[in-house]
Amino acid sequence: MPEPRWGFLIVAYLFLGGMSAGLFFVSALATYLEDGRGAAYSRVARVGALLAPWPVSLGSGLLVFDLGHWFRFYKLFVTFQWHSPMSIGAWLLAGFSGITLAAFWAWLPETTLPWLVRRLPKRLRFLSFVDHPSRGRWRRPLAMAGLPFSIGVGIYTGVLLGAVQARPFWNTNLVAQMFLFSALSSGCAVLILALGASREGLDHSDAKLLYSLDITLLVLELFIVLPYVIHGKLSPLSVQRALDLILGGPFTVAFWGVFFTLGLVLPLAIELWEMRPVLLNRAPLHPGRLLAGVSAALVLVGGFTLRYVFVSAGQMSTFQ
Amino acid sequence: MSAPVSRRALLRGAAGAAAAVALAPHLGCARFLKRRGEVPVESREVPTACELCPNKCAVLAVVEGGRIRKLNPNPLSPKSRGMLCARGNAAVRSVYDPDRVKQPLIRAGARGEGKWRPVSWDEAFDFAAGKLKAIKGQHGPEAVLWSSTEGFQEEFFSNLGLAYGSPNLVRHPTLCLASVNLAYSMTFGTVPSFDLLNADYVIMSGANRFESIITPDTMDLVESTMNRKAKLVYLDPRFTVTASKADEWFPVRPGGDMAFILALLHVIIGEDRVDREFVAAHCHGFDELRAHVQQYTPKWAAAETEIPAADIVRIAREFADAAPRALYYAGRRSSWYVNDFQMRRAQAILNAVVGSWDREGGVVPNSKIGLGELLYMPWDEPTAPRIDELDARFPLAAKGDGVFLQARENVLAGTPYPVKGWMVYKQDPMNALPDRGRTQKMIEGMDFVGVIDTQMSDTAWFADVILPESTYLERLDPLHGLPGIWPVVVMRQQVIKPIHDTRANLEIVQGLAKRLGLGDYFDYTIEQWVAEQAKELPVDNPLAHLQKHGVFAAPGAPFYGTTRKPDHRFLTRSGKIELYSERLAEAGHDPLPTYVAPTPPPADSFRVLLGRKATHTHAGTTNNAWLHELTPTNDLWINPVPAAALGIAHGDVVEVASKVGKVRLPARVTEEIRPDCVFMLHGFGKKSRQLRLAYNNGASDADVLETAWDRVSGNAAFHETFVTVRKVGEAPHA
Amino acid sequence: MRERLGIKRRRYALAVDARKCINCKACVVACKAENDVPLGRFRNRINEESGGAFPRLRASFEPEQCHHCASPSCVRVCPTGASYQRSDGLVLVEGDDCIGCGYCIIACPYDARFFNEQTRIVEKCTMCAHRVDAGKPPACVETCPTRVRVFGDLADSGSEVRHLLDSRRSHVKQPETGNGPHIHYLD
Repeated sequence: MPEPRWGFLIVAYLFLGGMSAGLFFVSALATYLEDGRGAAYSRVARVGALLAPWPVSLGSGLLVFDLGHWFRFYKLFVTFQWHSPMSIGAWLLAGFSGITLAAFWAWLPETTLPWLVRRLPKRLRFLSFVDHPSRGRWRRPLAMAGLPFSIGVGIYTGVLLGAVQARPFWNTNLVAQMFLFSALSSGCAVLILALGASREGLDHSDAKLLYSLDITLLVLELFIVLPYVIHGKLSPLSVQRALDLILGGPFTVAFWGVFFTLGLVLPLAIELWEMRPVLLNRAPLHPGRLLAGVSAALVLVGGFTLRYVFVSAGQMSTFQ
Repeated sequence: MSAPVSRRALLRGAAGAAAAVALAPHLGCARFLKRRGEVPVESREVPTACELCPNKCAVLAVVEGGRIRKLNPNPLSPKSRGMLCARGNAAVRSVYDPDRVKQPLIRAGARGEGKWRPVSWDEAFDFAAGKLKAIKGQHGPEAVLWSSTEGFQEEFFSNLGLAYGSPNLVRHPTLCLASVNLAYSMTFGTVPSFDLLNADYVIMSGANRFESIITPDTMDLVESTMNRKAKLVYLDPRFTVTASKADEWFPVRPGGDMAFILALLHVIIGEDRVDREFVAAHCHGFDELRAHVQQYTPKWAAAETEIPAADIVRIAREFADAAPRALYYAGRRSSWYVNDFQMRRAQAILNAVVGSWDREGGVVPNSKIGLGELLYMPWDEPTAPRIDELDARFPLAAKGDGVFLQARENVLAGTPYPVKGWMVYKQDPMNALPDRGRTQKMIEGMDFVGVIDTQMSDTAWFADVILPESTYLERLDPLHGLPGIWPVVVMRQQVIKPIHDTRANLEIVQGLAKRLGLGDYFDYTIEQWVAEQAKELPVDNPLAHLQKHGVFAAPGAPFYGTTRKPDHRFLTRSGKIELYSERLAEAGHDPLPTYVAPTPPPADSFRVLLGRKATHTHAGTTNNAWLHELTPTNDLWINPVPAAALGIAHGDVVEVASKVGKVRLPARVTEEIRPDCVFMLHGFGKKSRQLRLAYNNGASDADVLETAWDRVSGNAAFHETFVTVRKVGEAPHA
Repeated sequence: MRERLGIKRRRYALAVDARKCINCKACVVACKAENDVPLGRFRNRINEESGGAFPRLRASFEPEQCHHCASPSCVRVCPTGASYQRSDGLVLVEGDDCIGCGYCIIACPYDARFFNEQTRIVEKCTMCAHRVDAGKPPACVETCPTRVRVFGDLADSGSEVRHLLDSRRSHVKQPETGNGPHIHYLD
């Protein structure tokens, strides 16, 4: 392309959307897993649900203002173009937003809503119905309902790129999965950061869940990235030339140095190291706050860089 | 009592229906119901003729809501054959160019300072006429030079100059095609056209027809060489677009074209491949010619041209075999070398001896459609001799055109008499003449310089008063007959009223004439002029016909063979086609073209060439935004071998220096030019700050070209300058 | 012809004889004037290829614009349906529905689309649909001095474009995308 059309705002949106998807996925998983007394990982579930709606809202907001006519964004919701990944994504996002906002409402602490209601002006007092006593019962159904949506949101950002056959850098089957696993991994990372930064810190069982999940996701990502590159090099010339953008071309350092090493391999190594006690001796886990934070931050940096490289390199790649 | 349909259900149904109706247009399936909401505006189509270059293609101007929306080609003209080039299309932008001169201006500071006082037409006329009267009173009317470029309204300007009493009219042919016109006139008695549409074999020297578009030659040449497999042999030191399309391209040594032609003559005459009947019946001086070309062997020519001798022989034979559908294309701008006239003479002679004259696929004299003439009061012919001493120095040159460069030299020298005033119409001598420094000096020596133009050209920038002409889309012009193989009359009518305070040239001339006491000579309107012209056309209601169609094409065209009757008398002294010319001998010139080798450039120097491109017309369009974005600037073409020796990389800024000046521009290192030449596209390097896109953009060849002219015709010679090139700056990083 | 057949649908296409293209840019300016294309943006272009070493050199020119594909990827990816295809094959943009997301610009293998900073929507060659519907050829076709482009209805067996494509070999650009472009470059 003579000049790239999608820039930082799109990259930010893809990253933030993936983050929200990941946050809700982990929260939903944590809600689903029960240990007899109820949710096994209630802290993870709660923090995840409270955080989930917001990154994608910010990202969507940024995106709307990147449009030609920003107020026309509503046109995405008066039609359904089933053949357009963006249309599908818009509707998925609408559903996801609805469910995650509902889940947010369902997971709010006991005291928050009454506090808010007390501050409402008299005319809006009728809104007090939101402080429904049994809103907590919605948590599990919402988690189940939202799970497919979160996977949808996580994967569609990859489909958005992968469906474009004009851009050989994108047009593979693996891009969607790469973005999905990166998104879910970002969700884990945010939760590790959020819980780790809290007063109580990460307790053993939460850490075990998050680390196990993240390690799994990072390994899966590894097994997608490597075949993507290898298979690409065994593809028609246009794909091979597209891959040169990360094999000696301008995005080589960003891809291998930042995303792959700093954002994938290093966090994986750190997390495996932290999980030593569990893996070797079945001893409890006490992850160091600093290391946990660093590893999670690296995953986020990697996730952003992955999307930056893909969006930029893709627009440079061409069949001509 | 229960209603058959409950109220609630009815309301719900109504709401649902309403919602469905509201949503329906937005659902994908309802796409075909939507129609683009175009608001209709008043729209009309006015036929006219383009003025972005001398070709005068027929145009249909689309006007919407009082504004020119688009210019479409008019398919009715057999000259422009339903096309409109980039410049013709871009003319809309010229009309609405914010940099146009919008009202008369009188200089308020020093010349070239750019300070102007906007004035009324009355004040501008008073000022200019006052100056002209003063000069006439002090030095005589011959002390004002009147220079102009061709155009439908040029005649009024020239007439004003003559009525004023000045013999010193110089016109653009002296900077362009005077030598080729004179060469063909001296040979055939007329300047012909070339039937490229039907030719089978075409040889061209320069005349970059596929890049410097000339209608219909450009179009017909593509038709014949691409669709009909006619052969094109092309000589040019530069690999132009024409070179890329030609069947054979030879990077001829500059100035060697004449040797090539003489060698072709040598072979064709030596091997008796001439058209014997035609030569016997219509040509004069064949025996002298035959003896003369004996010396010009292919082997000799190979050394002069760097074209292999075997190719010269082969081409000569192919050319003769293809005759009479063979022609050596004359070209248009023939302002190359100081012996250009003789080179074109050699071409004309070659065309003559193979008998392709006045036949399909050959060199055909023009037919024209007669137009009426408005009778107006005649003036006394100017009595003073011309400033360029035409009779003495260039007795054969066209009297009405003069020799601009000789005139400039004489004005600067003050001989044979002082010239103190200069009126310029539709011309930019600061860019059109070589050695801009001398033109500027000429201006400095003038008491008065007045310019009539549509834009603030470099010459206008240095003038004392600017009288802005309306663009061609804003005026009614005299009808114009285009002679040719398919002759045509075109009408240029007013498409929109002038958008600024500008006037048509006739009105400007009348304004000046009134104050010069010459009003009686211009006592008519343009409408009267046009009506009188139209009367002679062989069609009912000719004026209405032209207003509706824009064009009148001669029925029965193309016309061949009108001069091939046995008793036809050519307009030459002998009454025949003059291969040998006594008139030339009498005037002290070679009666047969004699080759003089061009001076080679000194070591470490290059011959600088100039040329054109399809996106610009000379120096007149470089401020047009639509053309500017396609060709924003010029650069110096230089071959990689000398570039490497000089340490010049592509894009580096170089200084090009000649004996008279130097310029700076980026280098284009390219294989597409001979190592001994460099090339600059003409029209850039403007000094006028009111041409915001063109100002200081690129470089003007006028700053480096040295003054030289053809000996016989006085035509400027633009390719006789040698320059040095040195790097002065790095290429900016992309 | 079509009247006799009655039911056959039009399929507009362009045949290009690039050998005749002299890079004069008449088509680029005509399009710009006809369609209010902003400065710095183009709905059509001339691709140049040149090379060799003095004095054995080559240069060729190839016009290109939206290919109005049979299976346009730009229409496929549009989330609002603003990009659509008419039954006669012309691919157009309904400006009022375009949100300017730019997905179609990226999805086009031919770089035919651009974002117009003034109108704030995506634009491209429309094959001058407004002219075609009025029985006139597209501006680029009409203005060309050397008749490089031939525009017409492939479904009309009497059309010049049909005749050319039946009697001469031609190729399309990037057939491997599967878009089915309809600018046919005569060999």
